[in-house]
This record gives sequence, structure tokens and C-alpha cells, in this order.
Amino acid sequence: MAKEMMLSGCAAAAQAVKLAKVEVICSYPIRPYTAVMMELARMVANGELDAEFIHGEGEHAQLSVVYGASACGARTFTGSAGVGVTYAFEVYSPISGARLPVQMMIADRALDPPGDFGSEHTDAMSCRDQGWLMGWAETPQEAFDNHLINYRVGEDPRIMLPQYVCQDGYFVSHISGKVVLPEQSQVDEFLPPLRMEHRLDPKKPISHGPQIRPDQGDVMDLARAMAFLEVPKVIREVIDDYGRIFGRTYPPFVEEYMLDDADMAIFIQGAHALTCRHAIKRLRSQGVKIGMLKLRFVRPWPTEDVAAALSKVKAVGVVETSTSYGGAMRGGNLIHEVRASLYDLPKRPLVTSFMAGLGGEVVKIEDFEYMARHLAKAIQEGRVCKNVHWIGLEAEG
Amino acid sequence: MAIAVQTQELPTLKKVRDLPKEEYYLPGHRTCAGCGPALQYKLVAKAAGPNTIFVGPTGCMYVANSSYLCTPYAVPWIHAQITNGGAVASGIEAAYQVLIRKGKWQGELPNVIVMAGDGGAVDIGLQAMSAMMYRGHDALFICYDNEAYANTGIQTSPTTPYGANTTFTPPGEMIPEGKKTFPKDPPQLVIGGHPAVKYVATASIAYPVDLMNKVRKGLNVKGPTFLHIHTPCPKGWKFPEDKTVEIAKLAVQTGMFILYEWENGEYKYQHTPKEYKPVGEYMKLMGRFTHLKPEHIQKMQAFVDARLKAPGMPVEIPIPPPRAEA
Amino acid sequence: MFVIPKEKEVPFAGCTPAPVKDQRMMITGNWRTYRPVINHEECNLCLNCVMYCPDACWQLSEDEERVVWNNEFCKGCLICVNECTSEALSKAHELDFEGGVIRLDKPF
Repeated sequence: MAKEMMLSGCAAAAQAVKLAKVEVICSYPIRPYTAVMMELARMVANGELDAEFIHGEGEHAQLSVVYGASACGARTFTGSAGVGVTYAFEVYSPISGARLPVQMMIADRALDPPGDFGSEHTDAMSCRDQGWLMGWAETPQEAFDNHLINYRVGEDPRIMLPQYVCQDGYFVSHISGKVVLPEQSQVDEFLPPLRMEHRLDPKKPISHGPQIRPDQGDVMDLARAMAFLEVPKVIREVIDDYGRIFGRTYPPFVEEYMLDDADMAIFIQGAHALTCRHAIKRLRSQGVKIGMLKLRFVRPWPTEDVAAALSKVKAVGVVETSTSYGGAMRGGNLIHEVRASLYDLPKRPLVTSFMAGLGGEVVKIEDFEYMARHLAKAIQEGRVCKNVHWIGLEAEG
Repeated sequence: MAIAVQTQELPTLKKVRDLPKEEYYLPGHRTCAGCGPALQYKLVAKAAGPNTIFVGPTGCMYVANSSYLCTPYAVPWIHAQITNGGAVASGIEAAYQVLIRKGKWQGELPNVIVMAGDGGAVDIGLQAMSAMMYRGHDALFICYDNEAYANTGIQTSPTTPYGANTTFTPPGEMIPEGKKTFPKDPPQLVIGGHPAVKYVATASIAYPVDLMNKVRKGLNVKGPTFLHIHTPCPKGWKFPEDKTVEIAKLAVQTGMFILYEWENGEYKYQHTPKEYKPVGEYMKLMGRFTHLKPEHIQKMQAFVDARLKAPGMPVEIPIPPPRAEA
Repeated sequence: MFVIPKEKEVPFAGCTPAPVKDQRMMITGNWRTYRPVINHEECNLCLNCVMYCPDACWQLSEDEERVVWNNEFCKGCLICVNECTSEALSKAHELDFEGGVIRLDKPF
């Protein structure tokens, strides 16, 4: 019998890790993801979960420990936030290149300076080129589901890639939502034990990661690029299976909300999509033809899905909860990939962006109304007044 | 039903003829001719046997051994970053604990050995090494000490001796001795501060049977253990490549390197010279010291003397700081 | 979609099978300018050469009567000659040996 509980995003993640029968966990405390590790520590101590729970000496060590453990064929879990994510940076590419399906939970947090415990996507987004899967959850339920889905996709023998499973710090990690927990038998059916051919085993010795010649560098890189070409197909298969087994499903890559007859769209990922839904409903009741496109995977970026969905509208407002200083649009980083996705369309919508939720700020319904006004103005004038708006800080108000 | 994890007991070697014939560090690696660390690796691998997993942080024993796409390791080996040898080994040991416990892998717990250079052990890798010692993983951490960052072209590391010429400590008018600081003492960093550690030892390639027995002891003792192995580097220390073992022996005979075991609070010494030769005899054989003046040699002698209490009681605990002048 | 030249291929995740007897892809016998030469009659089987060779190029024979030299991999460092406890080992110039110098078909 499926069980329904009110769980925070951290607690939901811990439940997923437990049901996935993870074997090696490496912890280190940093706000706001620590609660998942406290929960797992409790589960290991009272026998609910049979796993090695290792106290890493830092985030870099966390990733290094799971690198070693995963290389032996154990299912691993670790996590971090903010500067912890960036401290571990050295190890991300080695894990990805070694094709180890490590899973890292990121409850995002603004990067220093200065100290700011609030949510911001920049920490994880800074790692998006490291060859890991990456995507955000909007609710604790989605976080729970994403953890299981990512294990299955990452451990697929066609893929063998690590995954960042992200959720907004505090808005998801700390605020409880309804989570339906499946039976262990359902999870066992969905997620078979990890099988890894290239593992460290004295009975079948290999040398894992010798030096390559410089002229082989491109071949190594291409191998990962090619794996990423396979990922979307596997994600679709896995999401189908998820729906079949658990009776709960998601659009694999992007969720269209009231988009079909919309003139304008808000493009968004993560927790603030929840507020956005309410804003969309309110704006619709006022006669504004607006919809939302919610992104579920940053990596692999669903280029065709984004293009197909946004081609329906005349103007797109990208909500940026991360920064890309000096980037092409001088704002965040989602807008670059949205524009790239739209580039080949015969008729491209106008695209602008809104820096919102930075530093842990709440994104209010009024902010979405502000965005809608700007999008309407852009449609009317046939051009955006600028590429990046900083919500609440703009001169014109 | 959890399966108990068994570990091996490797027997002590009494004489040279006892040395096992099997090689697990095979011919065919790109290390320099006469490479001290390569010799150490061969002896360690021989002592450890087939049920072993090596962790190779970046360094000569990674790059030179694995160029290109080929290694000399007959046992499983994995690359680690220079920063995280201890952490990767911790993960491997933990994985095997849980895999054996759950019946997913059958056999005795594999020997997990980190093969870190001096940088990967007590400089950039210090944090990970210490954490592995603290957490109590059943693994052996070996610091092969060629007293420099050799693979990047000989730069100073925390174990580079006072007065050594490296590319980051070149002698010149402003700094006549080249290297001004005295080195860290790797085994002493581990001893006393890590309650889970029951065995720490130093070894030298000049005394292979002693080295191999210490490796086996380190593997037999439950929990984390640390071995500091002195491995002269012909390229870095600038001496002819056939003199590697000779120089290693002289290091012990002059007191520049002291062979001992520390087990549960007790020190035991090996190959203690009856009379110590002057350090000058050792230093004059190496190009890295040829720029030194007599006052620098005296300073080195004073440092070595301060570490040696008296013949028969070689190591003064804690190691006193070097005297300000000779 | 992609064609990878055979000589550039890299195994999955950069993992190579472990060598069994020696590493054929790194033949180092062509490094040496001198080689050790043994006079078996003088040899006292102290096994210093076997212990001290970083490349494991001296091994005790099956019947344990003599030490055997590995021509393909010896780098000619001559540690063995330096550490020999008898008069058995000496050095000789590599070019003095017919077919002495190991040649590779191609580098690496």
C-alpha cells in the first residue's frame, strides 16, 4: 500500500535513497541540504538502511569517496549546497569521465560572497558542463521521484553517467509537501541492482583511468557526448516505466501549463514554478493569454521539446534564478540555451529574461504579473525593451 | 543475514629466498631508469599479493606508470586526484565492506593501498590522508617520498630537505641555500593524533625485506595504517641512475632517514647504524646539494643530530625543532 | 555518424585490462645504452639484482639455479651491477651486442 506523508524535500530525498537501497553514502554538513544526511544517518543507525555512512572531511572528499565506492560497483549517494558544490568541482569531471553513476543531491544555495544561505541556482548551474545529468524539482514529491528516476537512467548500461538531482534550498528542501511513498517491492521492480562491467575487482583486474595520449582527448570527450545523445531516449523509457509501476508520471523534459493558446510564456525551473502556476491562473482570469513552460532537465537540455513548445507563443520570459556575469545576455544562463533552442525556428518568439529569486528571495505573484506586462508590451512593440530585467530593482518599476 | 567480512593474514618474510616470485608490478612502465618509487612499487605489490586494489593519486607513480593507456599493474588500480587519495581509498574500502556484507562479492576484504607521493600524502593530499586515518578504514596509506613534486619537473614539496635545489627553490644571491625550510615528518603527522591508527612505519628501498614485511604488517593490522617509504629519485636529486639503492642506504647510515615502526605507542628501530656517518657524505653525491656552503651542511647536520638522541635510541619524541644555527 | 581512427580508440571509461606477464605497450628495452652482463660462474645467488631491479628484469629461474635477464624491458639503469655482491655482473655497451638494440615497429 502506498503511504502518504508530509515531507520536506530533504526528507523525501532520504526516503528515495533508502528505497533505492543505496550502499555507500558520504556526508558533510552545509545548509540547506544537511537534513537529508541527518535523516539517512538515523536510518543507518536504527537498521532501516544497510549502508556505509562515511563522514567526509569536506565536499571535495564526499565526491572522492563516492568516486571510489562507485568504481567498485556500489550504489552511492552524496550531496551538497552552495560553496560546497563548487569546492568539490575538481572531482566532477573525473566521475563523469570514469562513467560512474554517482548521484548527488543539490539543495541549491547562493554562492559566497558574502554568506547567504538563501536559494539560488548558480551553484549547480556552474557545473552543467561537467558531463552529469541535471534537473530541478518543483515539489518534495517531484524531488522524491527524480531521485529514483535518475538512478535508473544513470545506471542504464547505455548511459552510465552521474546525476545532479537538484531542488531549491528552503523552498523545497525545508517546506513540507505531500509525498506518496511507494512500496519497496515497486522500487525493486523499477530499479534493479547496479551492474557495472568496468568495476574494480581483484578477480577481474583492470586499470581504471590511465594517462591517454593528447590525440586521444577528443575521442574521450566524444564518448561522453555520444552518451548524452542517448540519454533523452532512455529518460523517456524510464518515465514511461515509472508511470506504469508507480501510477505517477511527468512529461519527461518540459511541462506545458496553459500553453496551447497562449501568446506569451514564462520559462522557469524549480520551486518558483509553483508560484508561477498560481500567477498564470490569476492572469488567465484577467484575460491574459499566458502559459508556463517548466523545465525538468537542464542536462541533457531538451532542445527540440523547448523549441516545439515555445514556437506556439509570441514572447517568452525566462525566469533566471542564477547568474552568468558577462554572459552574452548579461544576465543568467537559461536564456542562452533557450535562444539557442529557438534559433532554427522559421518564426522565433521574442525572448527576454527576468532575474528573480536570487539570494533566496521569494518570487511573488506580483513579480509574474510584472513579467507578463513586459511580455505584452514586447508583443505590442514587436521587440523586447531589453534582454534582462532585475525584478524589483529596475528603475522604471 | 549480514556476512562477516574476513581479512587476510600475510606471513612475515624471514630471508631473501622467502620473497614470493610472483610480480604484480610488471615490466613495462615509463618510469625513469633507476626510479626509486618504481622499485618501491614492485616490492609493495609483491608483498601485497593478488587480492589488492591500488589507488593512484596523480604523480610519477600515476603518469609515468600509465602512459599511454597501459599500466604495469597486474591487480586492479584506479586513478585518483592528487588531492584525494585517502578519500577514494575510503570509498573503495567502504564499498567492499558493504558488498561483502550483503553477499554481493565473495572473498576476503581486498588490500586497499593508496600509493601517494609526498605531495599527495602530506601537502595537497594531507586532508584526505588524515581523514582516512581518523575514520578507521581498513586500508594502508603509503607515502613514497622522493622529496619533491617530481612528475611536474622537480618542484619543492613539504618533504624536500633543507638546502635542496628544486625549480621552486633555486639557489641565488638572495637565497644561497635554495630551500630555507626544514621538511615535515610524515609518520609523525599520523602518530599520536589519530586514535584509530595502530601501526605506522618507515621503510627504505635499500632494505627490501624489511620494507615488504612492513607492508604486510600494515595490511595485516586492522584499521588504517601508514607507511613512509624513502625512494631516491635520480632525476630530481641529480645522481647517476645506478646509485639509487646506494643513496637510499647512505640516507639511513647518516641518519637522514630513520627506519622504525610505531605500534600501539611503542617504537622499534631497524637497521640502526652503530655509528652515524656525517651527512656530508650523503649530500655530496647529489647534484641538488652541490651549491651548499659548509655552514649549510652544518645546519643540516645539526638538524639530524637533534633528531637522533643517541645511538640505540634514534628518535627523540617529539622531534625537536631545528636549531637556529649550527 | 562518427568514424574514430583505430589508433585513437580509447576503451570505455578509459579502463584497460590489467597486464598479466608484462606490459607489451611499453617496451623499454630500447632505452638502454649499457646492459648488464652476467658471469653465472661468479654469481653467488644473493638475489640483490632480483630485489633491486625497479623493472623486475632479473628473475630467479624455475630450477632456482641461476638468475635470468629480461632483454626486452631492461632500461640499463645498472643498479644491479652496482649492488652485485660478487664479480658476476658487469656492464657492456649495448651496441656491442648483435641484435642487441630493441627496435619498435612504431613508437607507443
